[in-house]
Amino acid sequence: MQSEDFLAAALRKLAEQDREREAPDAVEARVVQAFRQRQVHRKWRNRIGWSLAAAAALTAVFLAGVHQGTPPARYVAPAHGVPTKPPQLAVANPPVTEVPDAEAAAPVKARRPPLAQPAQPQSREVVTQFFPLVDVAPPFERGELLRVTVPASTMRKVGLPVNEDRLSEPVYADVLVGQEGLARAIRFVSYEQ
Amino acid sequence: MIETDAELLKQVLAGAEDAFTALYRRRQGGVYRFALQMTGSTAIAEDVTQEAFLALLLHGTRYDEARGTVASFLYGIARNLVLRRLDRRAWAEIEIDDDCAATDDLLEDLTRRESIEQVRQAVLSLPPVFREVIVLCDLQDSSYEEAAMSLDCPVGTVRSRLNRGRAMLARKLRGVACAGRSIECSPKIS
Repeated sequence: MQSEDFLAAALRKLAEQDREREAPDAVEARVVQAFRQRQVHRKWRNRIGWSLAAAAALTAVFLAGVHQGTPPARYVAPAHGVPTKPPQLAVANPPVTEVPDAEAAAPVKARRPPLAQPAQPQSREVVTQFFPLVDVAPPFERGELLRVTVPASTMRKVGLPVNEDRLSEPVYADVLVGQEGLARAIRFVSYEQ
Repeated sequence: MIETDAELLKQVLAGAEDAFTALYRRRQGGVYRFALQMTGSTAIAEDVTQEAFLALLLHGTRYDEARGTVASFLYGIARNLVLRRLDRRAWAEIEIDDDCAATDDLLEDLTRRESIEQVRQAVLSLPPVFREVIVLCDLQDSSYEEAAMSLDCPVGTVRSRLNRGRAMLARKLRGVACAGRSIECSPKIS
């Protein structure tokens, strides 16, 4: 018992000696600087997210106007009957391989939005991973995936390599919009033959 | 009114710099001392302190108030950062002899000489798995429950490691005391 007391006393003295030791002020300066940089980055990402959400909403409104009077685009299960769950899409997801009759009769310019990279009927869709657009978001309950076109420079902003001379070219992107209307993530789409 | 750590953390995650500075100033000392007492290096302690608070910014949303305090959460982060810097082989538990308790007079002698630095070295020479419970519970005044959260292990494990760590420490300090008195301290053979 006495040895425990002495051991405790020795440790207590060590603790007392260290009690005033703290990280230098330079560490606080570095940490606070990192916090500020993070906040700037976060605000930028949120701004991009809202811009994309707005673009997605505008695209949706535009497409709704174009498709007015025609049945809404629906996901068609494969003919061989493989059970497939229809995706929750708010708008038609290009490429559209079958055009309804009423739509086919309409002028081409009015029928389809001006897409930068028109999909070929036989092309294969290749997507990137999703890149988060918000740091902290409410729990995800449900959402919609909106297909939009954005400048290729957006890809660079999430860290993807883009040639300098192609920054202004439009590319397809899928924006995941949560139940609260917040654009949560984005992925980029290309087509391969 | 003084805000709790958990309240400050919520504000930090919402982007409040004042809250971050307040939380840092309140908790940096403990994190720094923990890293210093675990590694014996001020340079590592500074790095760990910095990285722990940056990790709090990144992973603060994982903090669950029901599981423990923000301080315990921070110690857990700091512990992982320290672990990366220590030799992982030293992290493995080692068996100790049962008859390793120090004699009272030798520890008393050591205490009289106030060899604090020798105590520090003895703590640093403990295997990390025992060192961390000694540092948390005996030097940082963490409760068993707080230490258990920081170390991500049951409270019973903290207790048993603490007992074994103290026993090992006592044996090491006995060695220091013996060296100081220049006498032979071989264990008694019955």
